[in-house]
Amino acid sequence: MTDPRALRLEGVAKRFGDGAGAIQAVAPCDVAIARGTTTALVGPSGCGKSTLLRMIAGLEAPTDGGILFGGETPDTLRRRAGLAMAFQDAALLPWLRLRGNVALGRKLARRVPDAAADDALIRLVGLAGFERRRPAELSGGMRQRAAIARALAGDPDLLLLDEPFGAVDELTRERLNAELAPLWDARGTTTLLVTHSVIEAVRLSDRVLVFSPRPARVVADIAVPLARPRHSSAALADLCEAVRAALRG
Amino acid sequence: MIRMPRVVVWAALLLGWEVFARLTADGFVIAAPTEIAQYVWRNTGLLWRATGVTGWVALQGFVWGNLAGVMLALAAVLIPRAERGLLTLALLAFCLPLVATGPILRVLYGPGQGPQVTLAALSVVYTTFLSVLVGLRAVPQSWLDLARSYGRGPVTLLALVRLPAALPYLVAGLQIAAPAAFLGAMVGEFTGAERGLGVLTVRALRGLDLPATWAVALLAAALSMAAFAGIGALGRRLSLAPPEILLAAPDDARGRAGASIQGIAAVAVALAVWQGAMDAFDLPRFFARRPGDVWDYLVTAPEAGAHRANLLAALGETLTVALPGYGAGLLLGAGLAALLTLAPPLAALVLPVSVALRSIPIIATAPLIVWALGRGAAGSITVVAVMIFFPTLVACLHGLARAPRPLMDLFDSYDAGPLRRLWGVQLPAMLPAFFASARMAVPAAILAVTTAEWLATGRGIGALMATVASTSDYAMLWSAIAVIGLAALATHAGVAALERAVLRRTSPEQLAG
Repeated sequence: MTDPRALRLEGVAKRFGDGAGAIQAVAPCDVAIARGTTTALVGPSGCGKSTLLRMIAGLEAPTDGGILFGGETPDTLRRRAGLAMAFQDAALLPWLRLRGNVALGRKLARRVPDAAADDALIRLVGLAGFERRRPAELSGGMRQRAAIARALAGDPDLLLLDEPFGAVDELTRERLNAELAPLWDARGTTTLLVTHSVIEAVRLSDRVLVFSPRPARVVADIAVPLARPRHSSAALADLCEAVRAALRG
Repeated sequence: MIRMPRVVVWAALLLGWEVFARLTADGFVIAAPTEIAQYVWRNTGLLWRATGVTGWVALQGFVWGNLAGVMLALAAVLIPRAERGLLTLALLAFCLPLVATGPILRVLYGPGQGPQVTLAALSVVYTTFLSVLVGLRAVPQSWLDLARSYGRGPVTLLALVRLPAALPYLVAGLQIAAPAAFLGAMVGEFTGAERGLGVLTVRALRGLDLPATWAVALLAAALSMAAFAGIGALGRRLSLAPPEILLAAPDDARGRAGASIQGIAAVAVALAVWQGAMDAFDLPRFFARRPGDVWDYLVTAPEAGAHRANLLAALGETLTVALPGYGAGLLLGAGLAALLTLAPPLAALVLPVSVALRSIPIIATAPLIVWALGRGAAGSITVVAVMIFFPTLVACLHGLARAPRPLMDLFDSYDAGPLRRLWGVQLPAMLPAFFASARMAVPAAILAVTTAEWLATGRGIGALMATVASTSDYAMLWSAIAVIGLAALATHAGVAALERAVLRRTSPEQLAG
């Protein structure tokens, strides 16, 4: 892969602390991810995949190596609001209503306010009718969906999702899986998704990277050449089994 | 239980008070409600004018002090390097013995309301600074990451995230500041003003006018409680959920060396500000002594030994009163809070009452306490203890209520009983609140003991300062201020060190990294 527009991680590693107490969170890691694709990162808890995501977001500096997305470093990308991240804990501001929280994504990205587009996103994540609620009045899954709507509001080129469906109930999760993937496919968004759910990884992504226990290292790189929408099928089940096998090591 | 109409309860209470006061009239401690009412009736105009004067002074001090506190907190968040120094400055403003600063300010400002307003402002700077600082920082990492992931800098972060997050803390800080400003204004009036409730207190004390003393104390208490409640209502009106607790976790000083370097730096900052302020305004050396003058007076002058002996003797007298009062106030507050937790219905009853009582400027009642318990140590110890008791009780009750629900459920699922639950879950959860109020209580104890000594007992460093202020012995006055300030900083640092040592074991998450 030599596409200059791709997301390229070259020898990216992260160590916390130094000396004898140092913890290697991410082993040197070389990955190239094609523009406009969706990639799932799966691996055991605490393996360092979230750290990897935070380094791609520019929230954490790698100890070694470099990250480029279309030739831009995470910092330049961040400065022009080219990326958006949905956090594990949703990170909604409690004093803003749902609509305000979604609009915040556009505001932080320095985009022109667009209430109609915000409402469309709120409908998309299935929260229509809750626009005037505050985060405390929403369930955990609803908050995570609001966080995804906020991330999409800034119209990012690179979308980073850190276990965004962790608290979403099974049925809604399946519906979101079915509806969100076409959305970022259509926009040409490059999406990275950290998840614990093997089936979700296979359903949503074009490619699944399986990580080892800490320090995170890619142990399997599994392409998902299935057409969308992806309903349960033998091929899907086989891919899931392949990912599970890689996770077992 | 038969529910009686409120009017009946109040009437019964008043009657009981009246009878008790009449029976103990010889003790000359408790004024009967009818006497107080009579005094108020006869002196309505006087009280009205005095309230207006003190209220206006307190309001000005409130505005200036809070403005300064908020500015300092914003500066500390925007310029993290400056935080240490700013924290020390605000703490120092809080630790200054108001009763001694009053006379000096009087000379600086000349006649007028300047000194009272300054003292009122000084007494609110630190608490507002801390509340707002804690609020600005009480932001989960993910909110900060959110703003950072869009490449937005500290200014956006402040405007969109930190400031709204700090609003409830600001309201809580303002609530604490309202009675404090009133207190500062009254202390300012104690030390030489023409009008105001503080002046009425001093006059009533000198004339042994019991009903007048009670009337002014009650009036000051009522006004402070009204301000406290009013600001709280404003906060609810803005639908700001009050923060669970105002905790300022001490930063985890890197080892003993780090702590002592910080201590030395704090003293250096204080001395520089002192010298700088005197020089900047080009104040006459006669009353505006510099650090060097105090050093001469206490160390290098021929009679330095005598000066030192004099000062240290007074300080010793003060400490023998302040330390037991400080300990008693903290232990009683925490102890009662723990006891109340074993009886939840009682706690629900006591909490609002304590919150209200906390807002009373205890100092206004100091003369009454000293009056009741005599001019010996008991009276002053009680004044200090009472001053510390209510804030500690409230903070500890809040802290106990913060015990993690899942842990409580865990203990309950083993039917562990309320005592083991208290020991295993609730007391550890209370510790951060306890230590935070122990730190805040240091300046409060100093204010209480010096005021009691100044106004009533005639002992210790408070009385020494009263004497040298009236004889214009400014070298001794400045030395007393410096020694008290140093003692306060040292005690504060000692409590913070103990706090770090304990919290590192019980709640490491409270220690900012």
